[in-house]
Amino acid sequence: MSSEYILQMKNVTKRFPGVVALSDVSISLKKGEVLAICGENGAGKSTLMKILSGSYTSREYEGEIWIDGKKTDFSSVAVAEANGIEMVYQELNVMLDASLAENIYVGNLPMKGKFVDYKKLYSDTRAMLDKVGLELDPRQRVRGLNSGQMQMISIARALSKHPRIIVLDEPTSSLTDKETNILMDTIDTLRREGVSLLFISHKLDEIFRIADRVVVMRDGSVIATEAVSDVTEDQLVEAMIGRTIDNLYPKAAAPIGGEVLRVEHLTVPHPSNKGQNIVEDISFSLRKGEILGIGGLVGAGRSEVLSAIFGYITRGVTKRILIDGQEARIASPMDAIRSGMGYITEERKQTGYIWVHSVRENLTLACLKKLSRFGFIQKKQETDMAAEMFRMLDIRAPSLETMLVNLSGGNQQKVVVGKWLLSQPRILLIDEPTKGIDVGTKAEIYKIMNDLTHQGVSIIMVSSDMPELISMSDRCLVLSNRHITGEFTGTEITQENVMKAAIAS
Amino acid sequence: MSKENQKGKTLLRALLSKNELGALLPLVLLLIVVAFVNPNFFMRRNILDIMRTASFSFMVAMPLTFLLASQGLDLSVGAVTSLGGIICGMALKAGLPLPLAILCALLSGALVGTINGFFAIKSNLPVFIATLGTQYMVNGFIAITTNNVAISNFDTSFKQLSQYRLFGEVPMPILYAIILAIVGQIILSKTRFGREVLAIGGNKETAYLAGIKVNQRRMITFIATSVFSALAGVLTASRFACAQPAAGSGTELSIMAGVIIGGTSMFGGQATVIGSALGAILLATITNALILMNVSTLWQSFIYGFILIVALYVDKYRRKVLSGE
Ligand SMILES: Nc1ncnc2c1ncn2[C@@H]1O[C@H](COP(=O)(O)OP(=O)(O)OP(=O)(O)O)[C@@H](O)[C@H]1O
Ligand SMILES: [Mg+2]
Repeated sequence: MSSEYILQMKNVTKRFPGVVALSDVSISLKKGEVLAICGENGAGKSTLMKILSGSYTSREYEGEIWIDGKKTDFSSVAVAEANGIEMVYQELNVMLDASLAENIYVGNLPMKGKFVDYKKLYSDTRAMLDKVGLELDPRQRVRGLNSGQMQMISIARALSKHPRIIVLDEPTSSLTDKETNILMDTIDTLRREGVSLLFISHKLDEIFRIADRVVVMRDGSVIATEAVSDVTEDQLVEAMIGRTIDNLYPKAAAPIGGEVLRVEHLTVPHPSNKGQNIVEDISFSLRKGEILGIGGLVGAGRSEVLSAIFGYITRGVTKRILIDGQEARIASPMDAIRSGMGYITEERKQTGYIWVHSVRENLTLACLKKLSRFGFIQKKQETDMAAEMFRMLDIRAPSLETMLVNLSGGNQQKVVVGKWLLSQPRILLIDEPTKGIDVGTKAEIYKIMNDLTHQGVSIIMVSSDMPELISMSDRCLVLSNRHITGEFTGTEITQENVMKAAIAS
Repeated sequence: MSKENQKGKTLLRALLSKNELGALLPLVLLLIVVAFVNPNFFMRRNILDIMRTASFSFMVAMPLTFLLASQGLDLSVGAVTSLGGIICGMALKAGLPLPLAILCALLSGALVGTINGFFAIKSNLPVFIATLGTQYMVNGFIAITTNNVAISNFDTSFKQLSQYRLFGEVPMPILYAIILAIVGQIILSKTRFGREVLAIGGNKETAYLAGIKVNQRRMITFIATSVFSALAGVLTASRFACAQPAAGSGTELSIMAGVIIGGTSMFGGQATVIGSALGAILLATITNALILMNVSTLWQSFIYGFILIVALYVDKYRRKVLSGE
């Protein structure tokens, strides 16, 4: 018996200790359809998709999965793959010291007799890289690529297996407009070829642009399934968080004071191309109460600039940094923190949190010194501080003692943000402040940024999210081709200006 | 059916999240078995004997717990134990007063620890191989300086260090170990140092970005491990009234097995000093039980190796279950 649906998940319930992550969830997917899934952080989106990819075996949940109208037992990842299902996970999953080719074709290398057919491997890889718009050498190592590029490599790995169903869990959270456009085109092509896609995103404009239907989840249940053409953005937001948001980007400009930070002649070597610089001799300043946005394409060196200022990367870096007009020697993050800086990094898994430690321990990590007396951590003070942040950021976890590995991606991000808020910096460097965070909480985080600037904190914000960059920045620098190619203030900060500068050379 | 399965998993998780149970459960089982086979086991003298043996391992296991927690490793602890005894013995023979002789031993430990730490932190060599290298070098050094001849005929004052019995019953090493256990557990779970060491083991980059002195903290754990190993060597020499060139050889694996089975993860970030104490007691009990049950001592290293592998498996499985996979 054939079915209208290529995939049906029926009455799926999944429990974790203390949480019902999914309760009685059913979704269905047609051939050649793009089905978007949206919902708050912790709604159960990733869990549902991990069930589909076989990460959780059929014994660990209740419910059924039907493929082509036939009930199928998803007992392992292998079963999912055999049914033509590929998943790109929310957290990056690449082998840093293997080549791009090996990463894309891992477990699937073309063979000639008993040996790997390297010629074919490299030419196939070239073709896959073209498909996702990466101009890189198939032989080069993954280490040194930025997160956007790594994301594209993961997508290429899924595509290389020619699946019938592709699951993309927040694929665009580290991509800028240009790469997002390439991905959207790729998805369009796949759809025309009859491939079906499941697409998770917190960016509603993408959902409207690419999806045919949208599933809204809340607290582990599906609360609406609609054709995209039948709903508006407001309706989606209301369905997701139970209220409307009149202003997604509530900027409240603070009075801007004198210069607090000055970066002069900053040069940072390229992380993967030896002998080249990713930024060269750039200078800029930051004023009190200001939010300075940094735009540019993936690979323009935006993150590297922040890392170099913070003293996280030092090798080959030349710089002069002045804080309040005084030269500051910042050779390590410790120096930076001592000078009143904080740094929310982009890759929360690698540099943001400790996965086997609790929410409390992660939140207070950057202010242990303040919390200690004679070397002893003041337990009560610590718990109070963490609890306040837990409430303020609406972190969804069973308790303060839950390990980070058991939190949803967006909630992990909130913990990382909270950690740096608790360190009370005067200068806060943020790389993608709302990566993976849902619309409701996003607005909350913007409000917190506003409050900070009103208290006199200055912020440098790297963002790939164009509306965020435009509406939250008081001033915006654009990096391209090793240099600052644009500086805009107030109403000059427009998508057009930023894009133009981002591709300038 | 799947519901039941989930319930089973929850129970398992609850058990595994009490890390120390890894050592406690087998210990209890073992005691029950031994009690049936040989009731002599529970004689007071025998119990004290086991505790004394465990105390010597624990002196090394305590700092090793911190080292493993920070994702470090040290295979030279056995050799440094021998070194500590030998250096102390030679110093005494050279006429140095006891406190100075002990200080010399501890300093020799600190030196080896610094070398280990240097290789682990500054070079990109795998710690496993680097500390194996120092193990051989230290053993070589001992062989050259002693010609593999033990040093004996010590004063009573030196022997009293380990041989004195509190209330005529409890050997001093047990007292030392109890103090170490309390202090160690407090440092690990209550102080900033302990938290920072755990953070480094959990995610070195995140810890570094949070302003933690990663290299300095790691160096301290390496040095502490070697210094306490040397101390264990001094006390071993005192106990047998004889400093043997091979006093500590081969102990590194069983001590590490005890730490891991006690609930400290090889993957870093999670540790318990009390668990390590239980692990040391478990290992000592096994050795003792083997003797009482008339199993050839030749089986010992086979069994230690086996326990180490079981411990590693438990550790890996514990991680997997806790992460909800
Ligand atoms: N391994 C785990 N152990 C325990 N609880 C978990 C585990 N993984 C997820 N959860 C819980 O299940 C719920 C759903 O999480 P899930 O990751 O599916 O959310 P999500 O919709 O993908 O959110 P986000 O937008 O933040 O990525 C959350 O409450 C989370 O805390
Ligand atoms: Mg998710």
